[in-house]
Amino acid sequence: METVFGIAVDGVAYGMILFIISVGLSVTLGLMRVVNLAHGAFAMAAGYVASYAAQTMGLPYGLALVAAVLLTVVATLPLEKLLYRRIYGSANELRQVLLTIGLTFVIVAGINYLFGPTLKRIPLPEMLTGTLDLGPKSIPTHRAFVIGMGAATILALWWLLERTSFGIRLRAAVDDPAMAAALGIRTERLYMATFALGTGLAAMGGVLGAELLPLEPYYAIRYIVLFLAVVAVGGAGSIFGSAAAALTLGVVDTAGKYLIPNFGEFFFYAALILILFRWPHGFFQGRAA
Amino acid sequence: MTAVESDKMTTNTSTLPHSRPALPRIVTDAMPVVVMAVGGLAAFWLFPNDLGLLTRILAAALFVMSLDMVLGYCGIATLGHAAMFGTGAYAAGIVAVNWVSDPLALLAVGGVAGGLIALATGALILHARGLTLLMLTIAVAQIVQEVANKARDWTGGSDGLSGIDPAPVLGLFRFDLYGRTSYLFALAVLIVGFLVARRIVRSPCGLACRGVREEPLRIAALGGSPRRYLVSMYAVAGVFAGIAGALTAITSGIVGLDSVGFSWSAEAMIMLVLGGTGRLYGAVIGTVAFMAIHHILASTDPFHWMLFIGLFLMGIVLFLPGGIASLSARVLPLVKGGR
Amino acid sequence: MSGTLRGALMGAVFTIALGTGTAWAGTIKVGVIAPFSGPFATVGKTFKEGIEVYQAQHGKTVGGDTVEFIFKDLDQANPAQSKALAQELVVKEKVGYLAGFFFTPDALAVAPLIDEANIPCVIFNAATSAITEKSPRYVRTSFTLWQNTVPLAQYVAKQGVTKVATAVSDYGPGIDGETAFKKTFEAEGGRVVDSIRMPLKSTDFAPFMQRIKDSGAQAIYAFLPAGPTTLAFAKAFSDTGLKAQGVKFYGPGDITQEPDLPALGDAAAGIISTFNYSQVHDSDLNRAFVAKHKELFGSSDTVTFTSVGAYDGAHVIYKMIEATGGKSDGLKAVEAVKGMTWESPRGPLKIDPDSRHVTQTIYLRVTEPKDGKLQNTEIAAFPNQPDYGFKVGK
Repeated sequence: METVFGIAVDGVAYGMILFIISVGLSVTLGLMRVVNLAHGAFAMAAGYVASYAAQTMGLPYGLALVAAVLLTVVATLPLEKLLYRRIYGSANELRQVLLTIGLTFVIVAGINYLFGPTLKRIPLPEMLTGTLDLGPKSIPTHRAFVIGMGAATILALWWLLERTSFGIRLRAAVDDPAMAAALGIRTERLYMATFALGTGLAAMGGVLGAELLPLEPYYAIRYIVLFLAVVAVGGAGSIFGSAAAALTLGVVDTAGKYLIPNFGEFFFYAALILILFRWPHGFFQGRAA
Repeated sequence: MTAVESDKMTTNTSTLPHSRPALPRIVTDAMPVVVMAVGGLAAFWLFPNDLGLLTRILAAALFVMSLDMVLGYCGIATLGHAAMFGTGAYAAGIVAVNWVSDPLALLAVGGVAGGLIALATGALILHARGLTLLMLTIAVAQIVQEVANKARDWTGGSDGLSGIDPAPVLGLFRFDLYGRTSYLFALAVLIVGFLVARRIVRSPCGLACRGVREEPLRIAALGGSPRRYLVSMYAVAGVFAGIAGALTAITSGIVGLDSVGFSWSAEAMIMLVLGGTGRLYGAVIGTVAFMAIHHILASTDPFHWMLFIGLFLMGIVLFLPGGIASLSARVLPLVKGGR
Repeated sequence: MSGTLRGALMGAVFTIALGTGTAWAGTIKVGVIAPFSGPFATVGKTFKEGIEVYQAQHGKTVGGDTVEFIFKDLDQANPAQSKALAQELVVKEKVGYLAGFFFTPDALAVAPLIDEANIPCVIFNAATSAITEKSPRYVRTSFTLWQNTVPLAQYVAKQGVTKVATAVSDYGPGIDGETAFKKTFEAEGGRVVDSIRMPLKSTDFAPFMQRIKDSGAQAIYAFLPAGPTTLAFAKAFSDTGLKAQGVKFYGPGDITQEPDLPALGDAAAGIISTFNYSQVHDSDLNRAFVAKHKELFGSSDTVTFTSVGAYDGAHVIYKMIEATGGKSDGLKAVEAVKGMTWESPRGPLKIDPDSRHVTQTIYLRVTEPKDGKLQNTEIAAFPNQPDYGFKVGK
């Protein structure tokens, strides 16, 4: 029993970190139909900004997080206009993959040039270090914080997409872009805003997840498969799907490592194949929210 | 312009000779082979000291060509093609270490192994499309890599499978220190592979795959099973990838876990799209360009290489969606028009 | 005629492209294959710096011949590429010596080549014991997992620890470490209560920590490749409360290598490791070595085991050149350094005549903060440790 509880808690904590980083990818993939492999690179860049802000400039953790998210969004918006706009739509899959791989390489080279190849960290504030006691199991306070942030993200996104006029227009544009445009919805602006949302989520995930996915220039390439797995399992564009997928994969991975550590990798990928076999379009078939 | 459109353009240009008797089909057909043979021999003559690298390029070109059969002709986006390459390499390596060391037999072993794994996994995953399919191919390749890592007694695990010492080709030509035999052997395999691959993609099955890719409904309406075509083509491409793996094992004498790795699959895809999909020789062009530039740039500063290849990729996608091979298709009509 | 044409063509078109090896009389070339890009780029950098420090201290000539090092980048374990690079170095650059090698498969890949060309190969790092068995022309100046682990396991047993869990990355060196620890520790009367092999690509280590906790171990023996995984592992160890509960953390010194210490931070404090070199090793030679490094490169923060591996490797190569009078004869060169002893920044070294691996002092260190940064402080020494893994088999 204690073991089950332990696996569940660790799995959920890991899953939430995966969720926060991946959900942005799911949003852009579901809404603009763009396979953005540079998503991990955006998360990494934000992590480096936060690390620089906190370590070199001495900003507190919260401010560093906000600064990193804002800076990353501002810095990537021109990319939307210059690059991404040309490749929206599912017919362009191969071009999207290549363009964003190219972009990833450029960002990796740039980060290495600016910050060097060694590991960087984002120092945690006093209140997030240490452990939190949950009866039979104690978890790091930072992880508890991440779980909370993840839950808050789910709610905020749900509210944004279901309850605001932005969300309504967005869903209309996804379902039928031509009709939406005819009705006077400015799809270009809408896409830009959504792109910013996706990048912002990536940035937040990069900073919050830095304890688990340490910052180094190859971060962008090392973890992208993990993020893609979450999106594929969850169903592109589905927030609850991403959450369910991230938590499932987190728990599966944790259980596999705990119960049969020597075959942990098998377990994870075998589970991935089985899930995708059963739900080829993901848990929640691609639709906004 | 989308990838699909660019491919249609290719199809058009390849049918052009029929309307224009200036270039009979036999000439356009022979051209890639002649260019490959002459270029290959010229490289042999010009760079006698770089044959190790050149041999690797040739084997990689065969691998990328097999990816083209899957991606370019069937529209199957895969990031797990190294599973077939690696299986072929390990199969050939294990057989070479334990039993037979004749290079041609080893190529056959690699081809069979690559084909079988492609057949088995293809039947399992090819019902999916898009991102799901992409993830499935990645997952399959990761599992194959894990198997290779775990089967240390056979594969050497992360230490690599060493001690592959192939017998002379046809019992006559020894694999020498300078890599002359390796190179010529690889060149011959690549050219034969190209000819066979071209026969296959022009066969009814190959054309059907193209049809599946462009108009799946129509194929189904005509009574064909789209999935069966795709699986057969996937298996055939697996044979080629396996042969490429075996060729690498024979010429380098060692197989490592990297040969089943994700980055090898991804690199192959990059090379293919650089060269241009759906025309087989585009794979050769892309591989030569990618690996030669890599060799030159990485020896000065590896991060320059990443920056350069990144920008290059983006440039190709934005300005030359058909890849390098489409350059000729774009430029030739202009030249002819001027005449 | 054809020769002139060929030469002209080559010169005109490809000099710039592929670079030329300008060989002049009296130059002896050493080809170094190592990662200079990718996740392990720091390794190549430390190799290069180690060699340059050696050359700055001992000159660039041996008996009138200039020694020139040529560096080739191999970013990850890729044996086929390793062999192609080695081939290029031998046939094109006409190197007389091969050196470097961070990963075991890359080192193993060149065995047939160095035998055929009769060229010595000095390994600066690759630490699987079996390598030197594959060719009589391999000499190694680093360490092996066995060499570091055996004295550690003996020490742990002497501390009164009876139950240990091992946690290693699931690849060659990790498995070597696990086997060496288990064998030695159980021979000393201890018990290994759980042996965990962790997938190399693991990012979340919490489940392994839970397993260690459940096993009731008093201490862990851990080995992971240096870099992000070690960081995440050490963090998980302290975050999940194992550290606070008093579980001891032992391991070979790779995991607390100097370049990673700033990022590891407090999570690394208190790790007890055994290794062949610490940047703060207390000797005049080491102080001179570190000072020279600082003078040449502005900072000595990244001086670590790979730096001395290359530094001592350069020394061995110099001695080989001396012994062969500049002529290329691999077997004779290797023969000349068998049994050779010398004093290095890390302490006294000897090339074991059988294994052609360095017999050296292994130090017990604790990672602790000093003057505002972490360092590996040596607290005990185990002199004359051979490679216990030589010819043990798998």
